[in-house]
Amino acid sequence: MLGQALRRTAQMTLVVFGVVTLVFFVLRLAAGDPARLLNQPGTPETIVQQVRERLGTDRPLLVQYGHYLADLARGDLGVSFHGGQSVRDAVLEALPNTAALALVTIVVASTIALALGIAAALRPNGLVDRSVLVYVAVAQATPAFWLAVVLVLVFSINLRWLPAIDLTGPKSFVLPVATLVITLTPVLIRTVRQSFLETLSEDHVRAARARGLPERRVLLVHGLKAAALPLVTLIGLQAGFILAGSYVVEFVFNWPGIGKLTLDALASRNFPMIQGGVLVAAVAFVLVNFVVDLVYAALDPRIRLRAS
Amino acid sequence: MTQPLLDVRDLRKHFVTRTGRLSRARKVVKAVDGVSFTVGVGETLGLVGESGCGKSTLARTVLFLELPTSGEILFEGGRVTEGEAKRLRRRAQIVFQDPYASLPPRMRIEKILADPLAIHGLADRAAIPERVVQLLRDVGLGDGVARKLPHQLSGGQRQRVGIARALSVQPSLIVADEAVSSLDASVRAQILNLLKDIQERQRLSYLFVSHDLGVVKYMSHRIAVMYLGEIVELAPADPLYERPLHPYTRALLSAVPSLGRDGRGRIRLEGEPPDPGDPPSGCKFHPRCPLAQPICSQTAPELKEWLPGRFAACHFALADIEPKPRPETAT
Amino acid sequence: MSGLATTRADELTAAAAAPPARGRVALRRLGRRKGSIVGIAGLAVVASVAAFAPLISPYEPLAQDITNTLAPPVWAEGGSLEHVLGTDSLGRDVATRLAYGARNSLAISVAAALIGSLLGLITGLVAGFFGGWVDSVLMRLGDMQLAFPFILLAVVILGVIAERTVLHLILVLGVPGWIVYARVVRSRVLAEREKEYVTAARAVGASGPRTLFRYVLPSVWQVIPVIAMLDLGFLVIVESTLSFLGFGLTPPTPSWGSTLAEGRQFLVVSPWLPVLPGLAIMFTVLSINLTADGLADVVDPRLTKGSFRRQMLRLPSRYNRDRGDDQPLLRVRDLAVEFPLGERVVRAVRGISFDLERGQTVGIVGESGSGKSVTALAIIQLLDAPGRVTGGEILLDGQDLTRIDRKAMAALRGRRIGMIFQNPASSLNPVLTIGFQLTETIRTQLRLPQEKAESMARDALLSVGIGNAEHILRRYPFELSGGMNQRVMIAMAMAGRPDLLIADEPTTALDVTTQAQVLEQLRDVTRASDTSLILITHDIALVAEYADAILVMYAGQVCEAGPAETVIRDPKHPYTRALLDSLPRADTPSGARLQAIPGELPDPTIVPRGCPFAPRCPCVLDISWEINPELVEVGPGQTAACHLWTPDEARGAAR
Repeated sequence: MLGQALRRTAQMTLVVFGVVTLVFFVLRLAAGDPARLLNQPGTPETIVQQVRERLGTDRPLLVQYGHYLADLARGDLGVSFHGGQSVRDAVLEALPNTAALALVTIVVASTIALALGIAAALRPNGLVDRSVLVYVAVAQATPAFWLAVVLVLVFSINLRWLPAIDLTGPKSFVLPVATLVITLTPVLIRTVRQSFLETLSEDHVRAARARGLPERRVLLVHGLKAAALPLVTLIGLQAGFILAGSYVVEFVFNWPGIGKLTLDALASRNFPMIQGGVLVAAVAFVLVNFVVDLVYAALDPRIRLRAS
Repeated sequence: MTQPLLDVRDLRKHFVTRTGRLSRARKVVKAVDGVSFTVGVGETLGLVGESGCGKSTLARTVLFLELPTSGEILFEGGRVTEGEAKRLRRRAQIVFQDPYASLPPRMRIEKILADPLAIHGLADRAAIPERVVQLLRDVGLGDGVARKLPHQLSGGQRQRVGIARALSVQPSLIVADEAVSSLDASVRAQILNLLKDIQERQRLSYLFVSHDLGVVKYMSHRIAVMYLGEIVELAPADPLYERPLHPYTRALLSAVPSLGRDGRGRIRLEGEPPDPGDPPSGCKFHPRCPLAQPICSQTAPELKEWLPGRFAACHFALADIEPKPRPETAT
Repeated sequence: MSGLATTRADELTAAAAAPPARGRVALRRLGRRKGSIVGIAGLAVVASVAAFAPLISPYEPLAQDITNTLAPPVWAEGGSLEHVLGTDSLGRDVATRLAYGARNSLAISVAAALIGSLLGLITGLVAGFFGGWVDSVLMRLGDMQLAFPFILLAVVILGVIAERTVLHLILVLGVPGWIVYARVVRSRVLAEREKEYVTAARAVGASGPRTLFRYVLPSVWQVIPVIAMLDLGFLVIVESTLSFLGFGLTPPTPSWGSTLAEGRQFLVVSPWLPVLPGLAIMFTVLSINLTADGLADVVDPRLTKGSFRRQMLRLPSRYNRDRGDDQPLLRVRDLAVEFPLGERVVRAVRGISFDLERGQTVGIVGESGSGKSVTALAIIQLLDAPGRVTGGEILLDGQDLTRIDRKAMAALRGRRIGMIFQNPASSLNPVLTIGFQLTETIRTQLRLPQEKAESMARDALLSVGIGNAEHILRRYPFELSGGMNQRVMIAMAMAGRPDLLIADEPTTALDVTTQAQVLEQLRDVTRASDTSLILITHDIALVAEYADAILVMYAGQVCEAGPAETVIRDPKHPYTRALLDSLPRADTPSGARLQAIPGELPDPTIVPRGCPFAPRCPCVLDISWEINPELVEVGPGQTAACHLWTPDEARGAAR
């Protein structure tokens, strides 16, 4: 068990390390000279050079990389190119906002997906099933950014019910969460519906009925437990989707989270800030998947018992 | 005795498996653990045993479809090595259990039968169609089948195609791995008779693997009984069924439901077959054996000839448990 | 890239085992879905707009007209036909920009999907077929990539490139897609590689590449277009998202995402500016996804599995209920069961009748397709959809099970009728312990409190010969052997002390020594509680040993019935006789030749006019081709459906 935990930790560290390294080099090699971008065009070379020295971008690439890793190991994410703010502080400030958004989204989306997926599966080709499938098809084709814009148009501008931008209170959650939920649910519903249907056609469900268990128990105990497993895995996979989606949503709703932080930093070539944002995203993603695997093992004795 | 067609000596096939999806613990499953036997020209050797006894692995290892861990395989007098597997496959073929899985789903029957001919250069391009029709006729199928896809045929017809494919290279040995186990009773007899007819016509040898004692008896001249990777008894078919020497063979035979018997005198085996990854010490059968003595848990018995032509791996092969009821004919 | 494409692709992998349709069948299947027709049509519209953009649009996509900015579309107040969809803030024609945007969006997405699928197909084939370190390296690489949402990296990479060209976007979007395809292809190759036909190809001497390309590839490649289609829809959205965030094609090149982003600033004054490109994206992606669903249906012809529903035609009762004392426990009369499959109907059971006395064991014997299992499932009313009882009666103590409602039937299951199935491991819920399932059953059936039920569970296991009950109760089904699981199933089925137990091939999946143990156990427990047993099996020898009466079925009908011993000793129906003669047995003398039954089992969708066994029968009469024989008495308690035994007057005319 211990060896496995170590292996898993090493694996996760490797992924984060890989992402961080890739981003580091992509930024340095493809992004042009940040010192030049920070100054007006036509600034004398000497001043630009001073800026380079201040930022540390004048040193050889590998030296920069070494320093970066050394700092990272100490938990130091560097300072912003603009204003010298600590990247760690900025990231830690933004993280709870994104986390809150993601958490609310996952809870709402899973609940809806379970309810609609099962309702649809109970009577395939029935009215509920058809309606759910239409929703799935349409929602799947809807780009998140456009949905966000339309929601703002309808609920903030025309109806004036909800705030359009910024995080000002619980009401601010409604539109961003709705956007994410609507774009996330199609794939979740599909999976729940499919796995519930498959479970219902399995031998053990028929055997449970043959033993005279009440239909409600067959569906809720025997059906649901088996059908919930794929949903758990899927939420892990979709964590990336939620992260990506939150970039768009934070951008549109001016939400002070990791996504907006990263996008703003990209626009201004603020390397340390971009790196910080991506690092947090990578760590969050691997952790979510780690938790998902744990939950899966807890739900499925076949995994749990064979592993020990 | 003349030289056997196939001579297998102390063959072993061990698998290393992980115990779980996430775990790193490994264990060695000795699927085939020191097996020796011969198959003569025109002879059928039956290989019988319950699931997990290693009979299918043995069948595949003999054809080098699985690489042996150790041991020797002599075929037509020469030692077969991995590099010579193609030569072996020109002369030794296999027929599988599942007529649905054993034919490529998207290949027409004519191509399935023509491909081996092309691989081994056994017929001119022009002569291939004629040869295909001949092969189909040999297994009792009409020419019309040639243009069909496997899923358009019935289970029995597919199994005939499987046999035709094995025959296409004109082999001297065919390994039949549970070749009739998934067929219905009324079709199974057709295929068994077909296999017998072909043997007579072409002087083929069979290594006939099955869990069905009746089928093995019908097909085989001699029979080997396997238990946990080892041959525990090897004897000509009739005496084996009349007076089995090994207590496992006795239990196996008495467990078969029979039309004329009500199960009285049945030897009830206690417990389940042990985990092949963790076999018992000494004689692997001793925990379930009604004859077991202290020695059985300590020393593994050798397969030795107790009566002329009759081998058994048991310390007490000649001890009787109780008189076996005489088989009666039902009809 | 780890989003929807992966998940749907996984669905497909699981499904795509069955041989897909070809040619015309495929087209018909595609056409059967209205959705996919709409999808293809929609896709055609978008594709032609994209292809012929210069011909359709009267304007240049970049042509500005400062005098006519933010003109409303034609249907809004102040709109004109000149600019059908209005103009943007620089006075550019919106319709023109959308058409050219379609061009860019589609070109980029299609090219990206092509690159991804090609890379994925190659890597998947190689990884799956050759395995070993190549596989490990490729899949670890893929894991790494999937371990991080690639779109975030795409944003970073594109975000820092100053001049983004079509090629940049294609590569950044396309290359990472390989893993989605590669995983599906690999897992399909792995599944195919395990199949015997691949071993057979090796056995006939085919080389590795030959096996891969001639044998494996033809069964694998079909998933590619489906995933590519799904991927395409996803890519269109990703591409427009990138444009929207400002990381798409460098302005002023038109694209849907950037048009939308520009329009967003004028959300209040000109809401159609951001709304229209979004609708274009939705329309495109919806069309693509509908097409993909249709394609998936072609690749995976499994029909949508029906839910559990009791399918029962309500028929007027034709029988007089005899409620006399001599009434048997179970009386089946003229039972008919059908499975409508598309245009054809499988008539699985065609009017069978039998009685079963209390405490009696009847063995139903038949080959596949004889209708024996369907009969069992009809009795306990658990037929798989779309199967349904289309006629007859099933009387349990005089109560017709085909006419009671669903709830009442559920109440009968377990308490009056129990059933055990062929595959014990899959008949138990894999994620619940034996103890949970057994206790739950006892609680439901006997309405006992949890504690009492638990102690009864232990007793129930003891009663089927499981000594270490405490230990077994805590185990999961996958931890037990097949024989042990089947004992557990017997314990569960008997927990409610049913009057009737149906055992459907209870030992077919078990070894012969275990089979003997389980059947003896089954006999002991049913005898002890005077339970009637229906033993369904393909092995007539089992019936000979364990049943009192036998019912031989062929093609959905009973061809012979009677006391087991009599029927087996002296079979009257040619099929029963032929079946017995065709069995190789341990006591068949060596050198004897089996009497094989010629021909094939009948096609269950074709109802023969006369006797269903006529084409294979050695003693077929002229009348056999014309009239389906009725069961007639041929001995004490023995009946057979054969014209050899029909009284002369009944068949006289035809001879």
